[in-house]
Amino acid sequence: MGVLSDPKGYWADLTRAERGVVASVVAFAVLLLAGLLTGALSPTYFLFLVGIAGMYALLSFGLNSQWGFSGLINFSVAAFFGIGAYGTALMSADSSPIAGGYLPIVGLFVALAVAGVLALAIGIPTLRLRADYLAIASLGLAEVVRLVVLNERQLTNGSAGVRGIPQFFEGWPVLATLPQQMPGLVVRPFPGTELVLETPFWGALLNVAVVVAFVGVSYGILRRAHRSPWGRVLRTIRADEDLARALGKNTYAFKMQSFVLGSLIMALAGVFYAHLNLFVSPGDLDPVTTFYVWVAVILGGSGSNRGALFGGVVIVTIREGTRFLSGLSEFVLDLGVVALQFDLSFISSNVAPLRFLLIGVLIVVLMRYRPQGMLPPQRELIWPSVVDDPPSKLESGVRGVKAGESDE
Amino acid sequence: MSEQTEAARGATDPDLKEDVVLRVEDLQKSFGALTATDHATFAVERGTITGLIGPNGAGKSTLFNLVSGFYEPDGGRVEVNGTDVTGLEPYEVADHGLIRTFQTPRKLEGMTVREAMLVGPREQPGESFLNLFFRPGTVGEREGANLEKAERILEEFEIDHLATQPATQISGGQMKLVELARAMLAEPELLLLDEPAAGVNPTLRNKLADQIRRLHEQGTTFLLIEHDMDFVMNLADPVIVLDQGHVLMEGPPKAVQTDQRVIDAYLGGNV
Ligand SMILES: Nc1ncnc2c1ncn2[C@@H]1O[C@H](COP(=O)(O)OP(=O)(O)OP(=O)(O)O)[C@@H](O)[C@H]1O
Ligand SMILES: [Mg+2]
Repeated sequence: MGVLSDPKGYWADLTRAERGVVASVVAFAVLLLAGLLTGALSPTYFLFLVGIAGMYALLSFGLNSQWGFSGLINFSVAAFFGIGAYGTALMSADSSPIAGGYLPIVGLFVALAVAGVLALAIGIPTLRLRADYLAIASLGLAEVVRLVVLNERQLTNGSAGVRGIPQFFEGWPVLATLPQQMPGLVVRPFPGTELVLETPFWGALLNVAVVVAFVGVSYGILRRAHRSPWGRVLRTIRADEDLARALGKNTYAFKMQSFVLGSLIMALAGVFYAHLNLFVSPGDLDPVTTFYVWVAVILGGSGSNRGALFGGVVIVTIREGTRFLSGLSEFVLDLGVVALQFDLSFISSNVAPLRFLLIGVLIVVLMRYRPQGMLPPQRELIWPSVVDDPPSKLESGVRGVKAGESDE
Repeated sequence: MSEQTEAARGATDPDLKEDVVLRVEDLQKSFGALTATDHATFAVERGTITGLIGPNGAGKSTLFNLVSGFYEPDGGRVEVNGTDVTGLEPYEVADHGLIRTFQTPRKLEGMTVREAMLVGPREQPGESFLNLFFRPGTVGEREGANLEKAERILEEFEIDHLATQPATQISGGQMKLVELARAMLAEPELLLLDEPAAGVNPTLRNKLADQIRRLHEQGTTFLLIEHDMDFVMNLADPVIVLDQGHVLMEGPPKAVQTDQRVIDAYLGGNV
């Protein structure tokens, strides 16, 4: 039953929280559209934002398939992201000190391979032990990767970063030069507004196509995995690893698969970023990314793929939205007789702390009113072809109960 | 040692049992200064419901943990179906046909009862990540078959009305039934139950006993720890008595209940 074929039934089937999310997503989309049509938001910049949102969605997917599925605590999201970005950058960029000049698609596979090996290397000694060991080791790993990238100049260019990264479709027929060949367009949705769509716009559109494909494929894989017996073992491990062991599951192997899978998706986000930004530097490995992604997953609802998608988009909105604040310096309220003038420079000069404050408040409110996240897994997860009529909504939501409240 | 007790021992000497599913030889385990398992030796014969009793802290659960691979023994041997499984991982022990449950019910947060049941079956094609994408048909078929089995066994246990309830929202007694039902889906040859009747109301307890008896008739061997004397004495034969980590005696329920050593150690004369 899809949204399009039966919108009423779809709506009726949602929990209250889901309706809230759908409504705010629609409102947000309308707002963005209005911004675009009135020229307040440049189309090219908008597409860049979509790209960044997709990147965060991928990172959240990655962490969700570790923490959300199996309960693995990974504090090196930024490191796997960085491995992806640097992996493809060093393979494909002109300024790469080691390889360079390869097609980005080669860079993609090399980056994923390196991330996979690194995930194995950290998983092998820690996944047999209690959960906290992985957390500690991953914390160390993040720092080691960052310092190696910063200091091994002959490998990574150090703090200068890697420049001259090609677009993702470099070397492909048609797609490589598509942005240049597309005609420049000028659209006038309203009299007085004028949208200029030229090469940068088409390039950005192509990037969005890449990230949509990455997100779509990852989502498809994770969704199927989540509803499968494989995902069920992971969820059992998260709830009670000893139970899974007693029932004869090789929990070490399952945790390893979940960890590697998540790390690969994080690296994929990094690969996309490198070909979006066309420049990577050690600053991209800032541990704060790990923090943002954790917030995204918890906000969306641990264990839920669509929750991770939602959380990723919210985080980007907060991160990029607060950037606008730095443009504010004063606010004049003209009442005709008197003009009130507010000095807002304290905001613009404190955007970064303000952003953390905002996220902090968000977390506190979330933990108080909805600790399970906005879109926790709500439905039974059984292989789709098997249950012809799954109870579309459990009486009180399987997870909702934990918080001592129901969703209805 | 009197002649009579010698004879009683001879009758249940582990070496004299014919078809042994589980053999435990001279098993030892200590936690620091505390000896939890003290040279324990016994055997479980195929087709029996063997009881394992003993006072609190006698080391019964520890013994289960050692046998099922959760703890590494300090010394001694565990054999399942004639294969040495000492020091193997729990999943490897399970491969040899041994499944265990826990003393405290384990909750599966975020699953319905039938989802929680579906964790039970072993060697599901859908537990391989690649199969999900390359053999989805096989995965679906087996999942369907497993779901049917799960629903059938829930029906047999008369708890099919709980199938789509959240697994954390059922009573403790129902949880015990679900655990037993799930363990059966793993099709064990030997099922180790740690206090299956603890915290279960009398009605449900009878139901539980009936189910164990029924599954036993269908060919499963049971080793069960239980404090409820009525429950264990009605079900089990033979009964093994553990005291301070070693096997005090083994025999039919009647003999155990009247044995002076057992009374001294455990029953405290109230039998
Ligand atoms: N992991 C452990 N670490 C330290 N001591 C332990 C551990 N497991 C068990 N013990 C100790 O070993 C002894 C035997 O415990 P065990 O749980 O096997 O007893 P039990 O016979 O199952 O008792 P009960 O009938 O109360 O369940 C107890 O003194 C217990 O405190
Ligand atoms: Mg015990």
